[in-house]
Amino acid sequence: MKVRAGGLVAAAAVVVVLVTVGSAAARSSACGTVTINEQAWAGSTANTYVVKNVLEKNLGCHVNITKVAEVPVYQAMADGKTDAILEDWGHQPQWDQYVTKQKTVVRAGANGVKGVIGWYIPTYLMKQHPEFKTWKGLKGKETLFKSPESGSQGMFLGGDPSYQQKDQTLIKALGLNLKFVSVGAEPAQVARWTQLYKQKKPVLFYWYDPQYLNATYQVSRIQLPKRFKGCLDDEKLGGDPKKYACEYPSYTLLKFMSKKFASSGSPAVGVVKRFSWSNADQNAVAKMIAGDHMNPDQAAQKWISANKAKVNKWLGK
Amino acid sequence: MAVAQPAARAVAAPAPRPWWRGRAGLVVAVVLGIVISYFGWRNDVPWPASLTWNSLAAHLDSFQTWLSDHRNLPHPSIVFRAFNGLASFLDDIVGWLTSFFFKLTWIGTTVLGVLVVLRYGGRRAALGVAAAFAAFAAMGLWEPSVRTFALTFASVALALAIGLPLGVLAGRSDRFARAITPVLDAMQIIPAFAYLMPIVILFSVGPGAAVATTLIYAIPPAIRITALGIRGVQPNTVEAATALGATRLQTLFKVQLPLARRMLLLSVNQTILFALSMVVIAGLIGGQGLGDVVTSGLYSNPALALLAGVAIVIMAIALDRATEAMAIRTDPAHRHLTEGKKRRLRLYTLACAAAVGLAVGLGYAFGAGSVWTGWTGQSWLLRQVQSVLDYVQNPSTFVFHITNPIGNFIVQYGLEPLRTFFVATPWPAMVFGLALIAFLVSGLRPALIVAAMLAVVGVANEWTPAMDTLSQVLVATVLTLAVGIPLGIWAAESERARRGMRPVLDVLQTLPQLVYIIPFIYLMPVSIVPGVMASVLYASPVVIRLVEAGIREVSPNSVEAAGAFGATRAQVLLKVKIPLAREAIMLGVNQGLIMVLAVVVIGGLVGSGALGYDVAQGLQRSLFGQGVLASLAILALGIALDRVTQGRRRRRLGDLA
Repeated sequence: MKVRAGGLVAAAAVVVVLVTVGSAAARSSACGTVTINEQAWAGSTANTYVVKNVLEKNLGCHVNITKVAEVPVYQAMADGKTDAILEDWGHQPQWDQYVTKQKTVVRAGANGVKGVIGWYIPTYLMKQHPEFKTWKGLKGKETLFKSPESGSQGMFLGGDPSYQQKDQTLIKALGLNLKFVSVGAEPAQVARWTQLYKQKKPVLFYWYDPQYLNATYQVSRIQLPKRFKGCLDDEKLGGDPKKYACEYPSYTLLKFMSKKFASSGSPAVGVVKRFSWSNADQNAVAKMIAGDHMNPDQAAQKWISANKAKVNKWLGK
Repeated sequence: MAVAQPAARAVAAPAPRPWWRGRAGLVVAVVLGIVISYFGWRNDVPWPASLTWNSLAAHLDSFQTWLSDHRNLPHPSIVFRAFNGLASFLDDIVGWLTSFFFKLTWIGTTVLGVLVVLRYGGRRAALGVAAAFAAFAAMGLWEPSVRTFALTFASVALALAIGLPLGVLAGRSDRFARAITPVLDAMQIIPAFAYLMPIVILFSVGPGAAVATTLIYAIPPAIRITALGIRGVQPNTVEAATALGATRLQTLFKVQLPLARRMLLLSVNQTILFALSMVVIAGLIGGQGLGDVVTSGLYSNPALALLAGVAIVIMAIALDRATEAMAIRTDPAHRHLTEGKKRRLRLYTLACAAAVGLAVGLGYAFGAGSVWTGWTGQSWLLRQVQSVLDYVQNPSTFVFHITNPIGNFIVQYGLEPLRTFFVATPWPAMVFGLALIAFLVSGLRPALIVAAMLAVVGVANEWTPAMDTLSQVLVATVLTLAVGIPLGIWAAESERARRGMRPVLDVLQTLPQLVYIIPFIYLMPVSIVPGVMASVLYASPVVIRLVEAGIREVSPNSVEAAGAFGATRAQVLLKVKIPLAREAIMLGVNQGLIMVLAVVVIGGLVGSGALGYDVAQGLQRSLFGQGVLASLAILALGIALDRVTQGRRRRRLGDLA
């Protein structure tokens, strides 16, 4: 009996401790909690963590980071579960729906980074074949890119399913003897072309910039025609089919906020709106994180302490 | 004796006509016909554009827009508010669990976990749990692990609460089983990527949406395996109980459920593993935890992704062993409690509770944080993993010089020609050929279903990618069965084999495929192969487990009887055990096929292209209609293949097996 009573007392003590601690209130500050969504690629990690550290260190905000995929995040902003995204590569259907029609998501301007998408080859290959500077040089030489899965044609390595792409249309319109091979998500595509790169073999692939790997591997872009008969832009994605645009446009990467956050009066709203930096800035931080495996917070702080002027501008000082 | 007789007769049966004059010969003839049509009219007869419904995708897209617009109105209708309520209920469960663990501090959480398992499961299982906690701390992944645990705990509890009763119902009623089987097939085959967006629109993002997605995938195995267990109980036992005047409920609780205990355990085990295999996808819609670490790691730090994958596996194994130990220890059939023993156990429970309280108190006294933030071996571990990855990613190693040509050969002379064959064969030859094979193997109704399913694929404008995927799925399924059935039999016959295989199977079922397939691509840089490999590795564990459980389930009387007649071990296996375990083996075949189809999307992410890629693109580039149509095509292929292979016997046996 004695032991049993002791057990009960102990159990009661647990309950008391739990209840006391549970009621301890969370600290609050003028800024409150801000939730930013980070995407899987390193550039997004870079800008998300830099803004996070600026908000935390300078405004005393508590910053949460969510990692919702690119399209669902618009619903997350509509619900106010995510406050802001800092790098969007173009989602016209979502903009029509959430920004224009429902007005649950609002624009927060450009983040200063210019995105380039296109057809790339390793620079060593470009040196051997200067004619590859433009797409016309590819004509007749497609079989250089032959692989086990492309048969008698050359292989074109397609991009991540989540990225903006129209390569199959381009190949057909330009009449190139290339076979579009989809190699899946970006890590899988990187595995494919870096393996050929390391063997100094020819490879032609969908790629983009800013990308931290471009600091490790030297790649060059093939010039595609601005306009060409047969290149039809997808109207649904905001293109104009009458222009026959072939080359991918360069993208201004955009920031978005939830309506709820934008009208909350939080001092963080201004920082999110003013945040803007260059491709070089973003690549530098992304390289620290993905290339050197530095902790994202440390990498962000290192950049912040070296770039006080830019940070002050975001803070409106 | 009565059981051994048919076996003896089978041994004595004279050899029938040569195989090429039977059904097998006719099937071969049909295949030859398809091949001839391929060589005669290659690429000449694609699915006609007039037979496709092109605006279907657009209709689906506008449905999604409609859904979103109505959901995001300032005052949405009652239906959406109901979903909102459900979502916040699920959010709250997970949130409450997470903050509960955080409030216990890391010391309290560890002690609670270890002592609960120690009290109800015994020392070995408790040691395993302690080791798991130590591993999470050492890997520097304490916080995401706790979040993932909370999510999994909630999902598994709900999946079992829904799945077990439905499974019992399906086990007792043929009609219910028949009605529910296609639904379960669809829940398992339709890739989560296809319905992620509607789920997000209805449930928003967060743990609630993650639980909902996980439930869709984890409930079916709970239902199926429970039903199989209930059906596996010898009918004469049930008759005996009824004859003794037991009511239906009494028969269920006192006879059927206790006797199906092993199968019920397997169903709990599989529910846990299926739930954990959804962690990464749940991460895409705000599930948080280890899934997030895996996804972002894949893009910028593969070693970290691998580490997080290992944490998921460790959680799976610890949970599985702990639940098993607790189920065995609390089995009333093996426990004979005296009054004295009961009292001692009660004291033990109290002592454990007190110890947990003490640990929480100590945690607060020493200011232990909600998560472990002390020493971790993460950077050391990452360096080790990275050095392995560096080796794998180096194309000048000796391993690469072996794997690279093998991969090239398989693609160039195996998979690529097969793919061309399926894609380029005239569609009428494909439709009629496959329907004819289904007719020969399974009968008229399955043949009609196969034809209808292939027509659906064509009308949905998915013919070419579907044939592409079909060629890969066939290869993967054949390999899965070729690996899974023999290994399952071996595991059933040898305890040592079973023990050796078990952790490997747990790893294969829960380690996120991308985490190990992407390093593999560096070794074998070709498309298709990685996808096929991912399917085989993911699907064979389920086949192995079902075949093993089925053979072990065969009643010992039959085995003894055969032994008494002087049958050798091989004879007992081939003539008694395997025929009697037929139902479980057929469920294994069906599940193998379904698992292969369930990872078609993963294939799309590692270079299989076709339907899997379209589904992934559907979610990520907001081409909802495209994603749904590609998923429907995967489902149609699944149903068609299932009907081709089901055989004639199934109609009599109840559809679950």
